[in-house]
Amino acid sequence: MHDELKHIVGEAGILPEAQIADYAFDGYVPKTVVLPASVQEVQDVLRFASKKTLSVIPAGTGTKLGIGNLPQKVDIVLALTRLNRVVEYEPADLTVTVEAGIRLAALQTELAEHRQFLPLDPPYSDRCTIGGIVSANASGPLRLRHGTARNQVLGLRVVHANGTVVKSGGKVVKNVAGYDLNKLYIGAFGTLGIVTEVTLKLSPIPGREAILTAGFENVQDAVKAGLNVVGSQTLPMFVNFLSNFETGGTTDGKRPTLIVGFGGDPKTVSWQLERCEKTMEQNGAIGVTIIEGEPRRHLHVAVREFAASAENVIAKLNLKRTDIAEFAARVVAEGSDRGVQVMALLGSGVLYLAVPVTPDTDFQVFAQHLTELRQSAMQTRGNLIVENAPPELKQQMDVWGPLGDAAGLMKQVKVRFDPSGLLNPGRFVSSC
Amino acid sequence: MRQKEQLIAELSARLGTKNVLTDATALSVYECDAAPSFKAMPDVVVFADTAQQVSDIVKLANKYDAPFIARGGGTGLSGGILSVQGGIIIALNRMDRILEIDLENERAVVEPGVVNLLLTQAVQNRGYHYAPDPSSQKACTIGGNIAENSGGPHTLKYGVTSDHVLGLEVVLPDGEIIELGGTVEETPGYDLRGVMIGSEGTFGIVTKAIVRLTRNPQAYQTALAIFETMDDASNAVSTIIGEGIIPAALEMMDSLVIRALEEAFAFGFPLDAEAILIVELDGIEAGMQNQTDQILEVFKQHNARQVDYAKDETERQQLWKARKSAFGSFGRLAPNYITQDGVVPRTTLPKVLRRISEISEKYQIPIANVFHAGDGNIHPIVLFNERDADQCERVEHVNMEILTVCAEVGGTITGEHGIGVEKMDYMPLIFSPADLQVMATVKHIFNPTGLCNPGKIFPTAESYEKLGLQPSEFLYS
Ligand SMILES: Cc1cc2nc3c(=O)[nH]c(=O)nc-3n(C[C@H](O)[C@H](O)[C@H](O)COP(=O)(O)OP(=O)(O)OC[C@H]3O[C@@H](n4cnc5c(N)ncnc54)[C@H](O)[C@@H]3O)c2cc1C
Repeated sequence: MHDELKHIVGEAGILPEAQIADYAFDGYVPKTVVLPASVQEVQDVLRFASKKTLSVIPAGTGTKLGIGNLPQKVDIVLALTRLNRVVEYEPADLTVTVEAGIRLAALQTELAEHRQFLPLDPPYSDRCTIGGIVSANASGPLRLRHGTARNQVLGLRVVHANGTVVKSGGKVVKNVAGYDLNKLYIGAFGTLGIVTEVTLKLSPIPGREAILTAGFENVQDAVKAGLNVVGSQTLPMFVNFLSNFETGGTTDGKRPTLIVGFGGDPKTVSWQLERCEKTMEQNGAIGVTIIEGEPRRHLHVAVREFAASAENVIAKLNLKRTDIAEFAARVVAEGSDRGVQVMALLGSGVLYLAVPVTPDTDFQVFAQHLTELRQSAMQTRGNLIVENAPPELKQQMDVWGPLGDAAGLMKQVKVRFDPSGLLNPGRFVSSC
Repeated sequence: MRQKEQLIAELSARLGTKNVLTDATALSVYECDAAPSFKAMPDVVVFADTAQQVSDIVKLANKYDAPFIARGGGTGLSGGILSVQGGIIIALNRMDRILEIDLENERAVVEPGVVNLLLTQAVQNRGYHYAPDPSSQKACTIGGNIAENSGGPHTLKYGVTSDHVLGLEVVLPDGEIIELGGTVEETPGYDLRGVMIGSEGTFGIVTKAIVRLTRNPQAYQTALAIFETMDDASNAVSTIIGEGIIPAALEMMDSLVIRALEEAFAFGFPLDAEAILIVELDGIEAGMQNQTDQILEVFKQHNARQVDYAKDETERQQLWKARKSAFGSFGRLAPNYITQDGVVPRTTLPKVLRRISEISEKYQIPIANVFHAGDGNIHPIVLFNERDADQCERVEHVNMEILTVCAEVGGTITGEHGIGVEKMDYMPLIFSPADLQVMATVKHIFNPTGLCNPGKIFPTAESYEKLGLQPSEFLYS
């Protein structure tokens, strides 16, 4: 296998043996990691894998490989890190086309020269690639104002399992020609094809950014105050609730905390901060602080990276906003003595738990707890997804939970796009 | 389709005869949408009141091999509701209930026949609105908006329909009722909600939608600027975007539109002006003036000869009224018109508008422009008389050349109206046979018999011929 792959991608296209461990996940070490340098090479690798019935795990830098059920088979990891160019950037159009392996951080640096940015701030923003963000539909606090990749991707180029290259969408900000297949690939975890090129909408960098933090006596007060801001005309960029999460310096993690981000015209931000401060005080906040400059950046990074902790089990609940207070209070009460950390993106209805794993964690009991929590969430039309977990926990439960009425259609999509189950088998929607 | 009489009898038994139209005069109302150049007569029109009824109708359609097509407000502009192969039109305008309004979660649950503007009106005095605002919002329905993934003037800042729909109840083409997406922002699995939106009624019939409501902004600033040349106006548009200002809306109208508006409604615009821009900022009052000043500066740089502000909500509505009345005035310009809907990169607007005016010259077919300039979403209104065969032929060329220009500059052939029957011939301009094959695969998953809204979107062998291309080896539909 090695020689044949080397023939396709060249010496430089095979990750040295010693580094393969970087792409291990769920206790599996891939047989090989290939780094194609062109779309043609991606096609050839897929055709080769198809012929040999080897599985292909698409990857960027590998930061989100932990997401998913246990794999059925890990043969070739196909990492796009060498496909990392900016293909087309016309700042005055506020759009950019990049190869999927470009790192978000590298792209942001280039965009910043034109006072623009891509308003996506998922965990591992320092290392992760655009292709990975799109495939995982990864998002962060900014999604309250800017949405996720589903709202920002304009077009994709994708290589299907059979080696065919197709495009979906286009390069302009509005487009309804044909079906919106971008949506199918976004969040598909590479199970329908390998994304090689992405066109995105951009935003201007705000003239001023600031974060307001506030501590509260209890969870309910904090969530209530946060939702007050979300539902007002104050237009925050994000409103995050934190419990037991130390961000370094500004929040000690001892009491329930709100972190509210603003950005815009300097005068606008002044008004927002003033207004928000008032809301906080009316809702019983203790110690309101306004943070700008470098400390603000640090704090944004800290909350952004909440779910980027390999040592913890990360569970993500998608809820109605109005259900967050109850669930947050419940998990804080049940988990505080076990070191459970909690973060909620209040406006987006997302509640993250980070649960430490210790040598004596009983995974059966743990899975049972999470399943009960999932059931409660489902009773109020929410769901629970386990985003990071050791294989021992994944053996006990499905990380995604039920797919609902549409499971049958989803399976058909998988079968029709990847009939031999080449791509990332077992991890997401399975054909069986 | 088999045994039409028997099908009609079964439909009548299920829905009651008053909900089943078969009379030729009654049916003729349903032979087209708002693009009347395309016509096709359905065999029968039925009115559904519940998802269960829709499902029953769909099952009967399957039993008799009858094509079926959902119909909302009938304001579509691409012939999406045409029963090109006959069959059943399922009218959904009676399913017009707003089922739930949940302001705390900024959600509403609505039936598909709810008229877009009525949803906004139901929540506006509580400080909310439904953001997608097609210019047809007084008549188009949420179901139609979902099928077309519609936009509107405020799409520039707030996004299109897909950005505002969280969940759908759908009657699949085999009659099964399922839910896609949900109440919360993310549900596990592939985003079939996202795929359903914009599928032009070919993946099933939406019978319920969970949509986002948006908080009304604290303040607006709306201005109307008058320019001597199209070039100045379109350069102003790309400068505004290039400077990183994203207004809530940025709309443009050219001299032909101004003339038609004046003749029909006498808004008082100068008849010698070449272009009008309407720009709206919204959001927080504090600091908004800075952006307004920036925009004014841009207008000045590009030789705006007059800028008027809306001083209050009444004046704001008045400025918008001009924009929203534009379509109603074209009848003054020509007996017939086709609204094109390409999108181009915003920096290419000046060039593209010049090309369009050259095309108009070349074929001696007048073209008016009224469009969502901030998005680069052009609407050349191709004016003609359908009784004049020679004009009709020239119009064909005009359409083809305009869409070819859009494709050449890296744009697309439709930004909000959809492909329908109108633009299927032009799909090969922007999609390869392989791209189209993937779309056909997805269509086949949802709609394996093809009975749900057939004859739309996919190019035919003749389409390839028309474009001077090798016919595709694939059979898409
Ligand atoms: C004057 C004017 C201005 C316009 N301005 C805009 C604009 O600014 N932006 C814009 O995007 N569009 C605009 N349009 C186009 C049109 O209004 C939109 O496409 C609108 O969304 C159509 O809605 P409708 O309810 O009238 O749908 P219809 O015309 O009834 O149907 C359109 C398509 O949707 C399908 N459909 C309808 N209901 C359902 C359902 N429940 N489930 C599945 N499929 C369904 C139909 O089968 C058909 O294919 C304009 C049209 C006019 C006439």
